[in-house]
Amino acid sequence: MKTRMLLSLVARREFLERLRDGRLYWAGGLVAVLLFTALAVGWAHQREARAEQQAAQAMDYRDWLHQDRRHPHDAAHQGMHAFKPEAALAMIDSGINPFIGSTVWLQAHRQSEVKFNAAQDATGLQRFGNLSVGWILQVLGPLLVIVLGFNAFAGEREQGILRQTLSLGVPPLRLLGGKALALAASLAVLLVPAALVAAVAVAVGAGEGERLDALLRLAAWALGYAVYLGIFVFVVLGVSAASSTSRMAITVLLALWIGQAVMAPRVMSELSRAWFPSPTRLAFNQALGAELKTVSDQVWQKNFGTTERWGRDVPLSKWGIALRLDDQASYPAYDRHYGRLWDTWERQQQVQEWSGLVLPILAIRSFSMGMAGTDFAHHRSFTTAAELHRRRIQDLMSEDLVAHADPMGDRHFAYQAAPDLWATVPPFDYHPPHAGWALAHQARSLAVLCAGLLLAAAFAAFATLRQRAL
Amino acid sequence: MNDNKPLHPPQGRRLLAVMRQECRLMLAERTLWAVGALFLLLVAYALGNGLVQTASRDRAQAAVAQADSDTRAAQRVLLTGILAGTAQPTPFENPADPSRMTSSYGGQHALLPTAPLGPVALGQSDLFPSQFQVTGQSRVVFMNPSDIESPWHLLSGHFDLAFVIVYLLPLLIFALSYNLLSAERENGTLRLLLSQPLRLRTLLAGKLSVRAAVLLGPAVLLPVAVLLVARQAGLGGTGSGVGGATLWWALLVGAYALFWFALVVAVNAFGASSATNAMVLVIAWVMLVLVAPVLLNLAVTLASPAPSRTELATRQRIVTAEAMKRHADLMSTDYQHVGRGAILVPRDGKIEIAGRLLGNYLIEKEVDEAIKPELDRFDAQQAGQQALLGRFSAVSPAAVAYEGMTALAGNGTRRQARFESQVVAYHAAWKQFFFPRIDARDALAPADFDRIPVFAWQEEPPGLLRGQAAWAVLQLLVPSLLLFGLAAWRLRRFSVA
Repeated sequence: MKTRMLLSLVARREFLERLRDGRLYWAGGLVAVLLFTALAVGWAHQREARAEQQAAQAMDYRDWLHQDRRHPHDAAHQGMHAFKPEAALAMIDSGINPFIGSTVWLQAHRQSEVKFNAAQDATGLQRFGNLSVGWILQVLGPLLVIVLGFNAFAGEREQGILRQTLSLGVPPLRLLGGKALALAASLAVLLVPAALVAAVAVAVGAGEGERLDALLRLAAWALGYAVYLGIFVFVVLGVSAASSTSRMAITVLLALWIGQAVMAPRVMSELSRAWFPSPTRLAFNQALGAELKTVSDQVWQKNFGTTERWGRDVPLSKWGIALRLDDQASYPAYDRHYGRLWDTWERQQQVQEWSGLVLPILAIRSFSMGMAGTDFAHHRSFTTAAELHRRRIQDLMSEDLVAHADPMGDRHFAYQAAPDLWATVPPFDYHPPHAGWALAHQARSLAVLCAGLLLAAAFAAFATLRQRAL
Repeated sequence: MNDNKPLHPPQGRRLLAVMRQECRLMLAERTLWAVGALFLLLVAYALGNGLVQTASRDRAQAAVAQADSDTRAAQRVLLTGILAGTAQPTPFENPADPSRMTSSYGGQHALLPTAPLGPVALGQSDLFPSQFQVTGQSRVVFMNPSDIESPWHLLSGHFDLAFVIVYLLPLLIFALSYNLLSAERENGTLRLLLSQPLRLRTLLAGKLSVRAAVLLGPAVLLPVAVLLVARQAGLGGTGSGVGGATLWWALLVGAYALFWFALVVAVNAFGASSATNAMVLVIAWVMLVLVAPVLLNLAVTLASPAPSRTELATRQRIVTAEAMKRHADLMSTDYQHVGRGAILVPRDGKIEIAGRLLGNYLIEKEVDEAIKPELDRFDAQQAGQQALLGRFSAVSPAAVAYEGMTALAGNGTRRQARFESQVVAYHAAWKQFFFPRIDARDALAPADFDRIPVFAWQEEPPGLLRGQAAWAVLQLLVPSLLLFGLAAWRLRRFSVA
């Protein structure tokens, strides 16, 4: 009872102090204005993108169904487009979306890559960052904690208050607890209202049936940021306790902040790429092309006894069968090559997530995107679904070609399928993975963040116990 | 004081004395060594990284160019063989057929070479494509980002010299000089100094110039030296106009540093405590370097949004479907060569083009024409955005400096736009060469190979580069002078107590 009272007393006093010296008002107010601006912009962008994607997807399929009689392979060539649905939480963290594009062309013969990334139409300034709630919390959030808490211990030591407090017999750890509580409360005063507004925006912006999932994601997302900011609460208090003056404390803290928020993302990105290099486009295409040729030759040799395309042994009337064989043989080759490339990217990301132990921004960045559904794992899930749909279209078209193999011998492409063939292809109906899947994929970064919190708390406790009152 | 003597004697020698004294003081302190060493380390890492990235990009481009020339040479050998009757073409691998040579079978890459200063500011070089395989297809098909890069890296950006200068140099300037006057006052030494025949201005100038020398030395001289050595060793970009660009780059870095020094002086002139000065400076940095460019980018994107790519994809699909419908007859014809290989061989300089190949050619041609207005809209919008940005970038000196540096390094939006417009012109020449031959069914002969258009990059005229750099320097100098003016005004009533 007594200890709890003491804790709340310390916390209340600290909180009042922060209100009185105005730091909470101007620093917090600035962050709040930015947060609401980012949310408004994200909301508007998301509404527009969603409406556009849904309309485009519906129109795409309608046009597919309304094709006239035509050769199935021509229909497959023209193919369909798969539009990546904008995640419900993209409004708070757009993640890698601006850099990866949102449209896949599902065409014959080859696996397409996602094209049309927003970054290609952006100005030269996009490298300074995209204003999003996630960016503000990741970069400016720790700075806010520093501004609010750098002198929590050091300032009191300079004024001689710390000596008095400790001489009253207040246990140092309880003092730390109270100060941490006050700092957390100051942040909560600013961020909880913002989180509530974001929750309403997400709930309204999410489509039917995904609302609960979106809110679950948001809850986990918010938890991640609470842990992230918690790390800084303890680091700031620890450094403040360990520093002889508040000037020293702010210098160390600002240096730490710059190192982790400004420099770390770039340095770790360069290092992870050096450790797990991506192939060049030329090397990738050449390797893929060579393997496609090899597997195609193998199936031709096996099925037709020759690798010569379209001769006396394999007339064009076998075109449908050959196409199907080639396609079927190419699928594992695509899976291998793209799989290897994507695995490389994921390994690069793992390096960054692990380094989050020392540089929490890298772990929270990954976790934030992951829960928002705008990370590479979600993108990979979409691309894989789009590719499976492409294969389905190709297989259905080839099957029809096999069934209607040219009876006349030289009029293969004259065959025209009836429109009811088009209806055998279902619409591309992609549902992003659930919150649980996202959380499982981000287990590593969440664990790293939690470990970071424990380390930071241990450091703060250690520094508080060892501090000198003078 | 004697009336005959001026209150302040000539300050030139005193300035030197102040500088000497500052040097001695700073050398004795740890800060200078720490800041100097850190800065050197950052500059060295950034430069090394820039050189490595540029070299690997150059290697990748050289490999593409080599692959192109190997392909073309093999096609030429095949063509000679076909004409001599020793080789048999297939419908898809037939160098005599202009409809094949205009497709990706014969298409060649247009490459944007690295500019001489490329390694100092990688800018958008990983985001904007520096190679396109130009074919007879519409440019909506081939003018897309093609490099393989993890999106996480694209999001993070590079650690290059421009980053060190734009983001970190101001902080190091703060570290060395946030307490330029406040420390002297807090120690009581300012009163002592100004009791000498020394103007406050002279004192400030002396202190500033020593600090500027410490930071600008590594920021300007080291990169220039490294780039020269790297070029000698065959690394980094090649080309002329290096001297001019390097000079402007040094001026730009100098002007950017001057802005932050001016801010430091102005903040110090208000006479607050060292702690307050540090706080105000860091907040100014957060606002000007972190927040303002992001908001500016947002404002420009909102004021002049890019047209929808989703809409473009839909439009492309529709015009393709329409063109396919128009040429359904050609698309229904079979390949006629099975058992009649002679049909693929040119006769009297003419060649028979398979119906489906001809159909594909016509479809692509029509798609290209139909989609052109949409693409022009994109280009115009992008130019508009960039112009808007140019007008308002003065809001953030960081934005001005970053844009200026990437432009000088040849990795900015303007050089990219120039590349893309040259690719469009090359595409037109390509079509001009092949399309009449396809229409007339003219077979390609080995001699024609020498006449196939080749992409030759025309570098930006140095005048344009100079103009943009001068504008950037001016945009940095004006606010610096305003800040110095503000400082001078405040310093007149500066209290030394």
